[in-house]
Amino acid sequence: MICDVEALVVRRGGRTIVDRFSLAVDAGETVGVVGKNGCGKSTLVMAIAGVLAPTEGRIAIAGANVWGGARERMRARNALGYVPEAADPPGFLLGGELWAMCAAARGSEAPSPSLIEALGLDELRELALERMSLGQRRRACLGAALLGPPKLLVLDEPDNGLDSKRADALVLLIRAHAAAGNAAIVATHDRDLLERVGARSVALG
Amino acid sequence: MGAGIVGGVIFGPNGMSPRDFAHLALGSPVIGIGMVATWMLLFVPVARVIVRADAARYLRSLPSPRWPTVALGVAALVGFQWPWIALWFLGAGAIGVAVVALVTVLIAGVAWWRFAPPKTGALRWRGPVAALFGTYARGLRRRAADALMRCAGLAVLAGLAAGLFCRNNQLGSREAGVIAAAVIAVVLTPGWAGTLLPPLETHRDSAWLAASTGISEQTRRVALASIVVAIYLVTALVAALAALAIAPDGGAWIIALTVASAFGAAFVATRAMIRSEHSDAMAMRVVIGAIAASAVVVIALGALGAVGAVAVIALGVLAVGTA
Repeated sequence: MICDVEALVVRRGGRTIVDRFSLAVDAGETVGVVGKNGCGKSTLVMAIAGVLAPTEGRIAIAGANVWGGARERMRARNALGYVPEAADPPGFLLGGELWAMCAAARGSEAPSPSLIEALGLDELRELALERMSLGQRRRACLGAALLGPPKLLVLDEPDNGLDSKRADALVLLIRAHAAAGNAAIVATHDRDLLERVGARSVALG
Repeated sequence: MGAGIVGGVIFGPNGMSPRDFAHLALGSPVIGIGMVATWMLLFVPVARVIVRADAARYLRSLPSPRWPTVALGVAALVGFQWPWIALWFLGAGAIGVAVVALVTVLIAGVAWWRFAPPKTGALRWRGPVAALFGTYARGLRRRAADALMRCAGLAVLAGLAAGLFCRNNQLGSREAGVIAAAVIAVVLTPGWAGTLLPPLETHRDSAWLAASTGISEQTRRVALASIVVAIYLVTALVAALAALAIAPDGGAWIIALTVASAFGAAFVATRAMIRSEHSDAMAMRVVIGAIAASAVVVIALGALGAVGAVAVIALGVLAVGTA
């Protein structure tokens, strides 16, 4: 099993956003988290991605507790690639600098030629993130998330802003990622995308 | 520049009149260029917001004529320069107005200019600390170039003020070091405060990226502290060298105590930055943190003399460690 979420509870501002949610994601599997607007999809993926601490429960990626001790945390995050809904790293960074930063953090290499080709990263290398469109920013962040590649890909509304060519490429990348024995969690309201990547849907809220 | 405007326009002609100021600038090219450069350094960031008006670009889609927007921009460009205009108008009449008009055109041109985008090449960082430090340094250079230049200018002024203080009071080398370090910490505070916000914004904006890529909170703090220490050390060294130009008798004491107390103050400021990362009043708290850091230097040096610099370092390390 690549990702195991047990009885997760996330409270923010006195409100329970995620209430005793459990999920198991096996190798080779893609799971789509669906639900109406504001049901907590983004909050859930933020907790899985190690960005937002849950109130209760446990999240393990590749056997390591995302919110455990320092070593466990590091191991879990080394097996993780995350793209948030807003795809908003510091805007002054160039695409190439974003990938260099993520590669240094993970101890991985720069984007592979096939990844550069699939996401059209070459045109983003010297472009500042604040000068990119939403779709371009998302492609830059996908490039950063796929460095390694990680065992678990966590994507929040990944096709927002992508043109049809890049949306097709995204589908192929997610399918290839799962086929290579990895896994993906995709939070989206786009059921068509989930069908195309062959995802198992899990409803939230 | 501030002393000229306040002394000439508000308190003139007692002691200094705007006429003296204008004639000095018109009579000596070096002083004139220095004054214009100082004013440009102060006003170009404001002019950039007015001239580019990036945030108001969507207004162009509305069915209204263009001239009110342009007129408002010109009025803002002139209105926000009123102390500078008053100084020149009272000092040199029509010639002064012509000088201001020329400088305003120059400022508008510089503000309009967009520098060529940076290049990344085959960038490769060794480890997360280097990556974060490189990211923060880029944020500082790209977001706070004006603030850095102002800080460097203020460092020279702070050093000159400290040097004059030491020379005119005929202080021995150790006392000169203590006084110079304290004066520099006070005068340089606005410069330091102005440069701290961009690294903190980068720190906050990259938090999700760091959290999801396995960069620990401790590593983030080390990277933030490193960039703040770099800012404080370089500017303190510039100030200390400027002080030595006026008071060479201070020698190594001026350099050692100024740099050491700036080192400690950087840690105190870093603590304030870390504590204000998630605050809605982040900018205000960063400024207060910079003021508090300088206050710690002055109090420690005042109470303990040269040993105070060591106390500032110890307190700074403790402050960051417990943030």
